[in-house]
Amino acid sequence: MATNHEPDVPANHNENRRTFLKQSSLLTALALVPGPVVSAAEAKLDERVAEAIEQIPLSLKVNGKKLKLKVEPRTTLLDLLRENLHLTGTKKGCDYGQCGACTVHVDGQRVNSCLSFAVMHDGQEITTIEGLAEGDKLHPMQEAFVKHDGFQCGYCTPGQIMSAVACVREGHAGSETEIREYMSGNICRCGAYSNIVAAIQDVKSGGQKV
Amino acid sequence: MNAPEKKIGAPMNRVDGRQKVTGAAKYSAEYELPNMAYAVLVGSTVTKGRLSSIDTKDAERAPGVLAVITHLNAPKAPGVKPTGKDPSQPQTVGSALQVFMDDKIRFNDQPIAVVVANTLERARFAARLVRAQYAKEKHQTNLEANKANAFLPTQAKKNPKSPAADYQRGEVDAYKTGALKLEAEYVIPTEVHHPMELQAITAHWEAPDRLTLYDKTQGTMATRRDFARQWGLPEENVKVIATYVGGAFGNALHSWPHESAAIIAAKVVNRPVKLMLTREQMFTMVGYRPHTWQKIGMSATADGKITAITHESIGQTSTYEEFVEATLGQTKMMYQSPNLTTRYRLAALDVGSPIWMRGPGEATGAFALESAMDEMAFLLNIDPMEFRLRNYTDQDPEKNRPWSSKFLKECYQAGAQRVGWNKRQLKPGSLRDGEWFIGYGMGVGTFGAHRGSSKASAQLLPDGTVLLQSAVTDIGPGTGTAMTQIAADTLGLPPEKIRFEWGNSDFAQAPTQGGSAIVNTVGPAVQEVCMALKDKLRELAATSNGAFATAKKEDVSFADNHLTLAGNSTARATYADLVRQAGGKAVTVESKPSGEGQKFSMYSFSVHFAEVRVHELTGEVRVSKLISCADAGTIINEKTAGNQMKGGAVGGIGMALMEHAIIDDRFGRYVTKDLADYHVPVHADSPAIEVFFVNQPDPYVNQLGTKGIGEIATIGVAPAIANAVFNATGKRVRELPITPDKLV
Amino acid sequence: MNQFQYVRPTKPQAAIDAVAKDANARFIAGGTNLVDLMKRGVMTPQKLVDINRLDFRKIERQNNALRIGALALNSTVADDKQVRERQPLLALALNAGASPQLRNMATVGGNMLQRTRCAYFYDVTMPCNKRQPGTGCGALEGVNRMHAIFGFSDKCIAVHPSDMSVALVALDATVQVSGPKGNRSIPFADFHRLPGDTPEKDTNLEPGELITAVDVPDNPFTKHVHYQKVRERASYAFALLSVAAALDIDNGGTIKAARLAMGGVAHKPWRLTAAEQVLVGKPATEESFRQAATVAMQGAKAFKYNEYKLRLGPNAIVQALKTAAAA
Repeated sequence: MATNHEPDVPANHNENRRTFLKQSSLLTALALVPGPVVSAAEAKLDERVAEAIEQIPLSLKVNGKKLKLKVEPRTTLLDLLRENLHLTGTKKGCDYGQCGACTVHVDGQRVNSCLSFAVMHDGQEITTIEGLAEGDKLHPMQEAFVKHDGFQCGYCTPGQIMSAVACVREGHAGSETEIREYMSGNICRCGAYSNIVAAIQDVKSGGQKV
Repeated sequence: MNAPEKKIGAPMNRVDGRQKVTGAAKYSAEYELPNMAYAVLVGSTVTKGRLSSIDTKDAERAPGVLAVITHLNAPKAPGVKPTGKDPSQPQTVGSALQVFMDDKIRFNDQPIAVVVANTLERARFAARLVRAQYAKEKHQTNLEANKANAFLPTQAKKNPKSPAADYQRGEVDAYKTGALKLEAEYVIPTEVHHPMELQAITAHWEAPDRLTLYDKTQGTMATRRDFARQWGLPEENVKVIATYVGGAFGNALHSWPHESAAIIAAKVVNRPVKLMLTREQMFTMVGYRPHTWQKIGMSATADGKITAITHESIGQTSTYEEFVEATLGQTKMMYQSPNLTTRYRLAALDVGSPIWMRGPGEATGAFALESAMDEMAFLLNIDPMEFRLRNYTDQDPEKNRPWSSKFLKECYQAGAQRVGWNKRQLKPGSLRDGEWFIGYGMGVGTFGAHRGSSKASAQLLPDGTVLLQSAVTDIGPGTGTAMTQIAADTLGLPPEKIRFEWGNSDFAQAPTQGGSAIVNTVGPAVQEVCMALKDKLRELAATSNGAFATAKKEDVSFADNHLTLAGNSTARATYADLVRQAGGKAVTVESKPSGEGQKFSMYSFSVHFAEVRVHELTGEVRVSKLISCADAGTIINEKTAGNQMKGGAVGGIGMALMEHAIIDDRFGRYVTKDLADYHVPVHADSPAIEVFFVNQPDPYVNQLGTKGIGEIATIGVAPAIANAVFNATGKRVRELPITPDKLV
Repeated sequence: MNQFQYVRPTKPQAAIDAVAKDANARFIAGGTNLVDLMKRGVMTPQKLVDINRLDFRKIERQNNALRIGALALNSTVADDKQVRERQPLLALALNAGASPQLRNMATVGGNMLQRTRCAYFYDVTMPCNKRQPGTGCGALEGVNRMHAIFGFSDKCIAVHPSDMSVALVALDATVQVSGPKGNRSIPFADFHRLPGDTPEKDTNLEPGELITAVDVPDNPFTKHVHYQKVRERASYAFALLSVAAALDIDNGGTIKAARLAMGGVAHKPWRLTAAEQVLVGKPATEESFRQAATVAMQGAKAFKYNEYKLRLGPNAIVQALKTAAAA
């Protein structure tokens, strides 16, 4: 899916497929015979019709870049990032909010991107692991993860780092025990927990801006 | 010029660290290919029987659907043999499940269809529209109920020397007549690898006879071999790429149905197809540590000498593959028992096939053996470490030959001191901190120091970088980093001048990553190819500068874009010239074990010490200290090796305290379906784990002195924790995991 | 997942109308449970009414109660100064639930409306009267180690998974709702239902009714409180069972007032009023707590795999009260 330049349609104007067909001026000709066209779309006779009625507009700022998109309402924020925007740094580890690999920041808060629909974030600002470094200069948390070897396979790592940055910003990195509790939403099956905690403590005590 | 700092042993940062912390590292579902399609598997909802009908019409009509493939319309790969009919499979009797070959259902959630669509959302939706009818048959999924049907594995029937065959030294079941004896049963539930990366593959037919797979596999070459054979293609027509593997712990040691399904789907729709399993499917389709029952009988003298051990085991396998693991291996060689009997059996159930899971059978066996050691020490009123020392083996009692190296006593000492073993009381329940009982326990682990054969290629690039390539994968231990260090030391180059590339079946041959054997095997190949490269470069330099012709190898070094000779400032050859002379060709060297292995028993050893706290009212267990000590030979990278040890320990915490996949036998379906039901340790479950390496080179495994870490990091951890729980509470839990319900 | 219609009203009445008039419509707020259930086909709404743009996020004190907007995030509530000072038990319960990320998404209203985590409910191929009335209860004769010991029926033995709700029922909260017929208040204890013959209904909300806020009345339980959650790992897990305990203890160590509720034991957060009465007037000692625990467990009945809850339950109550008293 590429960005598109159609005018914004307020999201609450989106209706289900049948009523959308009836109302859409873009599809007036089709609206004359809504029933058959809908079934035609369902029967895959016209892919473009199906796409036109299944997707709704969405404005997002992702890693500082403003995007105007069209998405199906059922597309999760995670799948939008990975499959449509090709920002594959955000990982799918369970798809049910049970592992934290998909952690991103929405308006500065860490969330599981697998458990919300992308359309629910209209107008919001998303930061992913790809948006953390400043150009070639790694974020202090990224540096600390490399230095303390806070990973093995690397798959949970972007989620751990996004969560770790939020953990420090929230003020929940006060002690080893507090860090362990407030990082427990990010599973590392390789078991690099000791090193991740060391990395977070290093950043916290280093006093750098996170 | 000063000699460059040694890189072997240095705690170097990972060579792929930056890729991993920036999200740039690409895993198998993350390659962008034009015209990508998405595949979703549909699983059987019954456990055994036949598909009587399968209705795909609604799915086919759904928007964006490109194909719905079942056994009725799947193209048959020419090299596929029916499920269970391919005895050529190297590791198992029977053969892997061949997807969409027939209407037979062998386990619940067995793939019965794959739906391919132009978006993930559409494929997922349409997969729900596939409707199947089944002719159900009565199934068996309960190990306990099927113990009576357990059988000796075929490989043991055929070969009495097989490790799975019954083993005997001294008298059979001699423990039964021992004066002081114990008899106890131990159970390990089904545990699931659950790497954080869901199993995924992107299959791309680049031409009708050329297949590229971006696949989560531990062995690019094994995967290439499997699928080349399935499709009747020359191996060189299949390319397998697995640069980054998001953990595997053994579950990518086998080719699985979803991989075949994606390849079939890509063939049918003639587009690249991406298939990622769901977390539910990770329970059913890609193996697990098998549910295993064990019984140990042990007798000892009053002064703490073991007189006999009998160790029996029944592990679950599927109906179509005999999965065998070395559950009883440690029992045969760890302690000096004159009488020893082992019996290994399998019970075939209507489940998917198991596969080695970190520390594999040895970890299962060590739970029983090391628990029994603790039980016997308690019976004898002897400190469990002292009891182990009284039965320590200075040579291998199984094979009657010396160890290539063994520094386990040093590990005992280091660990005991670090955990504060002197605080441990013989009487359970003696130590408390408020509402928490405190206990100490230990568990020993061992795993064969295996070395296979491997090649590596090396090439000097015009900018002075040496490019090394190996088909090996790096599933997380830091293989790429260790190889870079070995190359840097061998060539005398800084690590920045080494580029080690891995995870591609087109690269130089290397074995599958598994069995703690990669540094043992690929390390020497890398070292040897670097020496060969140096030699080759010296030869090339000699053609224009005679000083190089007679030079000793160790005098040749790399500096400032030149090959130089110690003590001869005029002997210089530029890289650019050498590269031109070499025609840009890679040097490939094969490295093989020396054969010394015949004379020695080669093992890595570990001991784990745990301090646990058990809440007096709620029965919750917290591991407050965990010390893992290893005799693993030379440590190439203290940082990554230490991390690997810590990770194995965390895996052991999971095994001991929480991991348990449960099937409702009425349906043959898992009721633990995701990471909320199947618990693995989180940050809060892990203490700061301390690691100690003896770091003494083994003289015989290979020239690097390595022995392997991956398995011993986990083996012995679960019994250390279980023993500590006993020491804290006096409650002996013989069926894992030790959840609060078992202690209140 | 099926395609659905998505609307995002900015006025409560529009949201209520959208759901009241369409049996296949659902509100969505944090989405942390609904999206999960939709992915697995357990819930298949045809229309989602996104209420996140409604103005129900405030936390304010009025009429001797703390009014917490239904859309206030779990993390916001747990960190809120007024909540921590006036209703610390609620903050403890919230922080015991889920993970920081999920607490940043989940709302107070949504937390109350979580569906059970019963494995049979979650698997569309298994029998479950809650998901599909008339198919039977898979857990009754199945793997029921997580299941109810109080208030179950032969139609359903599932438990409610919320931690927050255990605190709210203990604290005599009131749920404020708006619906097609106007506004009403529901005492928290009457908000969730027991399964009876209609386990498909988790709560007493009428179709189209929207939770707007929860009122937590002022109380003396600002010091001696504890939320004891027993789980199979140290964090980020649903409870085997949990106990919310609040005590008001006079200077002589005598209990003036007590609140006690359990989670993970019934189809609804389980208030233990009889046990509370045992405590009043007694010294805050382990002996009193044990007496209360014994009373609390009266009527508890176990199934094949959750018999441990009969032992763990009273122990957890004692532990919760001990910790609360010592706080």
